[in-house]
Amino acid sequence: MHEISLVQNLVQQLKELAEANKATKILSVTMEIGPLCGVVVDSFRFGFEIISAEEEFLRGARLEVEIPTVEYTCSDCGKVLHSSEARPECCPACGEITLFARGGDDLILRRVELE
Amino acid sequence: MCDTCGCPSPSDHDHDHHHDHDHGHAHDHHHHAPQGRTVDVHASLFAANDALARANREHFDEIGAVALNLISSPGSGKTTLLEHTIDALKGEIAIGVIEGDIETERDAERIRAKGVPVIQLTTGGACHLDAAMTHKGFHRLQKEPGGDRIDLLFIENVGNLVCPSTFDLGEHERVVFVSVPEGPDKPAKYPKAFTGSQTFVITKCDLLPYFDFPVPEAMGDALRLNPALRTMTLSAKSGEGMEAWLDYLRQLVAAKKGRAKQ
Repeated sequence: MHEISLVQNLVQQLKELAEANKATKILSVTMEIGPLCGVVVDSFRFGFEIISAEEEFLRGARLEVEIPTVEYTCSDCGKVLHSSEARPECCPACGEITLFARGGDDLILRRVELE
Repeated sequence: MCDTCGCPSPSDHDHDHHHDHDHGHAHDHHHHAPQGRTVDVHASLFAANDALARANREHFDEIGAVALNLISSPGSGKTTLLEHTIDALKGEIAIGVIEGDIETERDAERIRAKGVPVIQLTTGGACHLDAAMTHKGFHRLQKEPGGDRIDLLFIENVGNLVCPSTFDLGEHERVVFVSVPEGPDKPAKYPKAFTGSQTFVITKCDLLPYFDFPVPEAMGDALRLNPALRTMTLSAKSGEGMEAWLDYLRQLVAAKKGRAKQ
């Protein structure tokens, strides 16, 4: 459940963001959660629900989640595929199991809606 | 800010995102959300950890130490392997250890009994070490007897194959361990532990006759995820495979010293 500590970092960041923008309330938070970043979306949501409920400025805020696609290149035939789901088992073209992944390994605070 | 060295601490959240954008410039989007305004941020939640990990790496480089982050499930035999490693390399390589656990000083006491500088980080429930904890731990370690001259720093992470994979501690290499009784399917089930590591070690290989653990299958699964992985099989208890492990450590230290001389 390292998602909880990541949410705690996020809340700290949101607090500073709200202060810097002279806002008293955050209405929604948009996160980009890469499929390979090691963060479980449901656990992150769960952590956000719990922690946001404890913070006056964040209470009731919506969490929007965007899942970026990862580019996989087959090590054998070179086929490129894009997926925002779990890592593919093998290359759909030739069946090779070693695929090189690019992107999708970050956890990014994209946007905040505040008032 | 870290009191000891002035490195940014994770509570100083400004440092990681205020370089590439300005918090003050909120875009008004009244047409879109009548009661709110939207601020584009684009800040990685890993940025604070990664910044501090870079600072840690610089600290390790300054004293000429190679740092290894050891990750595995609980009970894979990391501490036992460290005990044997310290004995085997005594007088040859100066070793230091940062122990990470949720509770207790037990692992640190075991290492301390071997006569090398060690400190225990107790995370108090957290399932992984992060760069900030490591940073504080390293400064504490430097104050221990012998903590100012370390060639090889082991950072033994909290026993967990999931969460530690996400956090760079500033290590030079990451080593993932799986013990024979755990079964061979760990690489398939916990891919991130293997994609983020440089070395994969199967431990307790003296137990292979008693378990269904096809070594080539486990190695194959791991190499599929990360073709560059170095792989080893050993038993700290029987000594099998230990020379390859010790040679790997010797080479890391020699390469580091070689670079420092240039």
